Parts: sequence; C-alpha cells; structure tokens
Amino acid sequence: MDKLLTVTALRRVIQLTAFFFFVYGAMIFTTFYTDDKLTQALPALSCAYDQSGGDYCALIPLQHQMDHRVSTLFTESSKVMEALMGTLITIGTVALLILILNKAFCGWFCPLGFFQETITMIGTKLGLTQLTSLSRETVTKIRPIKWFIFLFLVLIFPLLTGIGVLGHEWGSPFCSICPSRIMTTAMTGDMNQIYISQAGWGYFALSLIADLLFGLMIALALFVRQPFCRICPILPMQTLFKKIGLLRLVKNGDSHCNTCSNCVKACPMDIYEIQSQADNKNITHADCTLCGRCVEFCPHDGVMSFKYGPITILSSSKESFKKRTKIDKWWKG
Amino acid sequence: MRILLSVLVVSTSLWGYGEGVLYWTPHGCDEGKAVASKHGGHGKDESAMFALMNKEGNTSAALILPNLSEKSLPLNNNTVILPKPPMGGYYAMVAEMNTTNRIQSAVRYLSLHGRPAKVSPTSLTALSKTTLEIVPDPLHREHDRYTASKSYRFLLNFQGKPLKKATVTLETHNTPVQNYMSDETGAFTITLPNDFTDVRVGRSENKPSEFLLCVHYNEAFTEYTSTFSMPYYVNPNDFWQSQSWGGGAIFIGFLGGLFLYRRHKKQGVTRG
Repeated sequence: MDKLLTVTALRRVIQLTAFFFFVYGAMIFTTFYTDDKLTQALPALSCAYDQSGGDYCALIPLQHQMDHRVSTLFTESSKVMEALMGTLITIGTVALLILILNKAFCGWFCPLGFFQETITMIGTKLGLTQLTSLSRETVTKIRPIKWFIFLFLVLIFPLLTGIGVLGHEWGSPFCSICPSRIMTTAMTGDMNQIYISQAGWGYFALSLIADLLFGLMIALALFVRQPFCRICPILPMQTLFKKIGLLRLVKNGDSHCNTCSNCVKACPMDIYEIQSQADNKNITHADCTLCGRCVEFCPHDGVMSFKYGPITILSSSKESFKKRTKIDKWWKG
Repeated sequence: MRILLSVLVVSTSLWGYGEGVLYWTPHGCDEGKAVASKHGGHGKDESAMFALMNKEGNTSAALILPNLSEKSLPLNNNTVILPKPPMGGYYAMVAEMNTTNRIQSAVRYLSLHGRPAKVSPTSLTALSKTTLEIVPDPLHREHDRYTASKSYRFLLNFQGKPLKKATVTLETHNTPVQNYMSDETGAFTITLPNDFTDVRVGRSENKPSEFLLCVHYNEAFTEYTSTFSMPYYVNPNDFWQSQSWGGGAIFIGFLGGLFLYRRHKKQGVTRG
C-alpha cells in the first residue's frame, strides 16, 4: 500500500473529490442557487452552466461585470465605485483564494484539468504513443494565446458589448467557447450546451469554435498532457496574484540541474524554465499548476520543494524519485 | 369543414386559461414598466405591476423578501405595484382569498437584482406560505429561466406536509390543459410545452409566455385551491440551435485531433 502513496495518488483523490463537488455538488449539498455557491469566483474552470455544480469559476462574473457594470462608466457615467464594486469583489475573492492555495486550484481542483488527465490516462492505457513534451518553440508560440483570450474574450469584448460596440453574443464570449461548459453539463446528463447556433454570424462562429475545440481537446488529451490548460485564461488571472500565494514551488538547485531535465519531462505544462539553476528561489511559473510532478521526479535531495509560507511541506529526494519512477514504469506497462 | 372543426376544438380547449382560480400575472402597462425602471433591480422591460386574476372580496396579498421578512402588498382593485427592492434575490408574491367554504391562494416568484440577502433561496421556497402550496423543487436558478421542452419538479404541500396522489393541472395559452399526479412524496414533474408561435431567431426577439399550475383539495368541507404561475421562454434548441450539428462539429474537432496524433506518430517513427 505504501508503494502507492505518492503526491500524484493524493492529487488524484483530491481531484476526484473536487470533481464530484464542483460538478454534482448541488445533488448532495445545498448549492443549487447562485447565492449558495461556495465562492462564486473560483480560480478553476468549474462551470456556472452546470445546474448541479458546487461552485463556479471567476471568469463568468468577470465577463458579466465588464458587460453590465464596468461598461456603465462609459454609457451612463456611473460612479466609479458603483461600476467597479462587483469586479473588485470578484478579484478580491480570487486574490484571497490564490493567497491560500495559489495555482494549485488548477493542478488539484479544476474539473476540466482532471477530465483531461483522465483522458490522457485512458490514452496511455490504450497504448497510444504519448507526446512526452512539446518542443520549446511550440511552447513559446502557444503561451501568448492564454493572455489574448484573457484580455479579449474575458475583459475587452464583454466591455465593448456593454458599451454597445459589439453584439450581445460577445457579452460572455469565453463561456461560449469554453470546453468546461460542454463537459460539466454533459456529465450531468444535460446535452443542451452542444449546439450550433444560427442566431447570427457571431453566435454561429462561437458555437462552432466551442464544439470543434471540445472535440479537439478530447482527441489531443489522448496523447498530449493538458492540451486546453495551456491556453486557459485562468492562468493569467492567477498569475496576477501568484506572488502573494503562500503555496509555492521553490528550487534550491545544484550543478546537476542544467543536465538532468527530469523536472521538465515530468511537467505536464512543459515549463522549460524550471530546469535552470536557482538558489532557494520561488520558481512558480505563470503556466505552473502546482501539480508537484517536478518535485516527485527530481532525483536530488532537497532541490525541488513545495513550501507553504516558511514551511517546507514536500521536498524531492532520491528515495521518492526511485519509488515514483517505478510506479510510472508499472503504470505505462 | 375539418379546419373549422379543428379551430373549434382548439379554441374550446384554450378557452378559460386560469378560469375561476386566483393567480398572479404580470401587468405590462406603461405605468408598471416606468415604476420598474425607476426602481432598478428589475430586468429590462419588466413591469413592477402585477394583476391578481379572479380576485373577489376578502383577499390579502403579501411580498416575502429574500431575507424571509414579509411586507403587505396593498391591492388597488386587482393590481399591486411592487415596492423598490431593498435587496437582491428571489421574492415571493403570495395572495390568499377566503370565500364561503373555499380558500384560494396564489404564489409567484420573481428575481430582482441588488445586494445579496445572504439567505438561501431554498429557505424561501421551503417557507410555508399558504395552507395548500405548489413548491418548486427547485425554482429555476438565478439568471436562468423556465424554458419550453424542459422538465421541472415540484412538490405539493398541504399544511406543511406532502400531499400525495393529488391532481395538478398545467395550463398555457397555446396548449390544452395537461394533468399530472403527485407521487407518495407529494412530488410531480412537468414538461413545459413547446407551443410558441411566430418564433423569431434570437433569445431577445421572443417574449415569454405564461404557465399556470393549479391544484384543488377538499378537507373538512372546505375546498382549497392553490396556483403557481411563472413565465417561460422559447427553447433555442427547438428553433435556431441545432444539437445534431453541434454533435457533428465535436466529431470533426475530434477527427482533427486524431489527424494531429497520426502526424505526431509518423514524426515519432521517423525520428526513430
């Protein structure tokens, strides 16, 4: 039994529990109505369209606030605090949550992250050739997409909709293309979110992108780790506050660090920067989901660690590396 | 002749929406809309005026706020104008009418924007408001709406206890009356009919219709009647959204991913 006690095993248990809470929470707890949701600003893709969910992500209130509240600064000359109060509450809640768990919301709690990881496990078991790492060039090309999505689909387009420059379909464009909307609702038996809209070109384009993206994400997840996470706008939002996060990835590297690259191979987000030498430094990257795989797969004592405030809660070691590698070989057959 | 007969059958079945029972309906007059726009909290083009249909002599009306406090609603003939909402969340409009050996009640919910009341809407629906009551289980969620072709569950309560094996009628303006029966726990599920006519493309292009649930129950020589009325909307998937095309697009996306897999596998083999 001890052989299976790893960070990944613990993460799977927490991910599964979180998945049930965030997707089916209202079936067990009193979380059906918006007023009952846990935070109403979760920094993870738990979808508000899921009627049975336990909580929903911060991106939907942010888009609505841009569309209906912040835009009134320009259209109705509203008072600044009146227009910004909702957004400040949402951002404040996100900041508080990031302070507590930082980017671990992605690696440990996100229902869509868990869904993709499950599909990757299925792909591995089906014997599909896994793409262990994307090239540095590909990663560099992909990285700006999430910022583009965050700036335009979460903030600017909804704001322009509220001002009246864009049509109503651009009021919550990220939700319109988000795979979590389709996945979480389908998981509860509600297929109403799978559609192509003919209500106009904008609606048509967004619904088509949503469906294509969802199908593409499933197929890619069979052989690429975390395909959607790489362009997820939750990451930029978390990055704004990652410096205040108590949980962080710290590296105290040695001379082996530039040659081993085990941490990069283990990283599901292909963050090449983590292999660089660092002297007791917080290396929580903008793309990091704090999954802990780099700590598990680091073969050197005390080089990679998870710290919560001043306390080290997990540290790399030769022994845990051996154990983890053995389990990985067994899992991959 | 056949057309004439069909028209006669349909008009006979439609005649009498809410006939003889007490129920709430929105009053879409300009005055109600003007008040709503001054209040804030109401949605666009919503009215703050409601009519209590089939009201007779001894009738009282009240508004239960999201924090479960109660305000009396003064009736002007058969209309009420809602006060400015002091908080956001679900409100319940409740009316009761007593006549000889007959007690009628009507409940309607509405969602208004504002500072959250910090009380769960579950507490509002669970609160016993009338002797005989149709309780939504649950009410549609905030920002959501009752929609055609979708199913919704309700509970029947009499004196706060489940009322089993009672017949409930569902009425809309374009569909003949449908009957439902509550089960052993007092629960029943309705499916709202897709009966909108002259539907135009786009959510905001179509006005809602109304549905009315009604239950009668006799006890101790008194007839109890209760109604639940709410608006319901066109289901886009019945008209301008295609789910089969959506499924097809997902499949094409999946195929695109498989194509990338094949390319990756070939490159992998080439690399050796």
